[in-house]
Amino acid sequence: MLKWYEQNVPDNDVVISSRVRLARNLESYPFSIKLQEEQAVNLVNQVKELTPILSEKDNRKYYACNISTLSDIDKAAMVERHIVSPLLAAKEQTTGLILSEDETISIMINEEDHVRIQAIVGGMNLEEAYELADKIDDIAYEKLHFAYDEKYGYLTACPTNAGTGMRASCMVFLPALSSARLIQRLVEEVGKYGMTIRGIYGEGSKSLGNLYQISNQKTLGNSEREIIENLKRIVSQVVKQERKRREYMLSLNADEIQDQVFRTYGILKYARQITSDDAMNLLSQLKFGVDTGLIKFDREFNIHKLMMGVQPGSLQWTLGKPLGSVTRDQARAEYIRKELPTII
Amino acid sequence: MQCDRCKKRDAKVLYTEIINGVKKEQHLCEECAANYTSFQIDKPFLNNEFSLGDLLTTLFDNYSAAGAKNSFYNIPKLECKTCGMTYEEFLQLGKFGCAECYRSFNGQLGKTLKGIQGAEVHTGKRPKGFVTSTDRILKDMSEIEKLSLKLQEAIEKEEFEEAARLRDLIKQLKKEEIGNA
Repeated sequence: MLKWYEQNVPDNDVVISSRVRLARNLESYPFSIKLQEEQAVNLVNQVKELTPILSEKDNRKYYACNISTLSDIDKAAMVERHIVSPLLAAKEQTTGLILSEDETISIMINEEDHVRIQAIVGGMNLEEAYELADKIDDIAYEKLHFAYDEKYGYLTACPTNAGTGMRASCMVFLPALSSARLIQRLVEEVGKYGMTIRGIYGEGSKSLGNLYQISNQKTLGNSEREIIENLKRIVSQVVKQERKRREYMLSLNADEIQDQVFRTYGILKYARQITSDDAMNLLSQLKFGVDTGLIKFDREFNIHKLMMGVQPGSLQWTLGKPLGSVTRDQARAEYIRKELPTII
Repeated sequence: MQCDRCKKRDAKVLYTEIINGVKKEQHLCEECAANYTSFQIDKPFLNNEFSLGDLLTTLFDNYSAAGAKNSFYNIPKLECKTCGMTYEEFLQLGKFGCAECYRSFNGQLGKTLKGIQGAEVHTGKRPKGFVTSTDRILKDMSEIEKLSLKLQEAIEKEEFEEAARLRDLIKQLKKEEIGNA
């Protein structure tokens, strides 16, 4: 089964992935800040009992594990692939994870909320992500009876998540808008509609490789469908703006940009050591070249998968061992050399 | 019978409303009913636009907050019975201690949530099998009460034929009830 980042999907020149996250809590345990370690253990075990039920009812294979017992490299790799949040990886209390084989569905246990259901799909596809998360929520509710109030909706640890408990987001690739220094304006514009733009690893994270995350800010008052519709409308606008800007850039100096893209390919293909920030920037430029048709390869090739693969955690995870920073930079260069296809 | 609102004209409409599980009945004259029901239709939770009603609520909230005891310097002493979190603690941490906190701080929460979320009532998904208090009240209602609600709805939608049919049905049921008694 192909993972979401291995599939080629529509609109992925700008929208890399669509994600929906539902925050849920159990009535029978106090919330995160009042939860004792003993209760955390019970909570994780109770929620993990969902695993066989999900495998049976959702036609995917599900696995469960305790995050707190994993190595730092495993945790870092999972954060880089958006399977778990940085918060869950950093937590010292017992925490757990249920993950589908194709990495589409992940359920974080004892994050800020008791249960966080996440569905992630490639490209611009918020509806599908919601349908998936909604289905898992229904299956889970039968067994766990999440805290719900008819006035306040799903009860969450933080009032900013109450109501639907839903955060829907799209990961977008905005090289042209970034180089025109238009991101700040976009942040202000999008904010007027109750949406936010952030770096790819959520709250407080910096932008890497011109990748950003656009998501809804409010969770109460509008239904899930309305939130998804609004976000979809905003993201489509951003996609339109980005594409327009790319066209404009090319109309000004296509030759220079093409030269730059080929030089970038050269560095990626022949460098002997490369840092992860450097690799992200270069891969971002290469992706721009591929998306705009300036450079063509002899086979289908998903640059975003490579972008995740060059992150420190994923790289060490792939190689199966921890590495010092210099050997890591060398290993990264070798990994990219092997993965990069040939130009035609 | 006099109209409950204007206390002048004769009441001709029995208006029943259930909001958040609280049932309220009023005997109204036609004019007040017209005003009152149209006012209801404009309520903010029915459309997401920023309506006049919304604006007024905000203004009244601010007004009462400035004049009343519950100002910033006088935080109400509320405590959650289940987890022991106080309202003051909640304001400092910005996080609830447990699900029960929502009920314990209920009186204060509307304003807080409105400030953060711009709304205080959930309109989205409801878990399968969840019984709301409105459902419970409807279940306890007699056949005549249920029909009266439907009649009211038909009048609001200006479906007068359906309204007439329901009115006759109610009349008949009432007659039967008196007969049985």
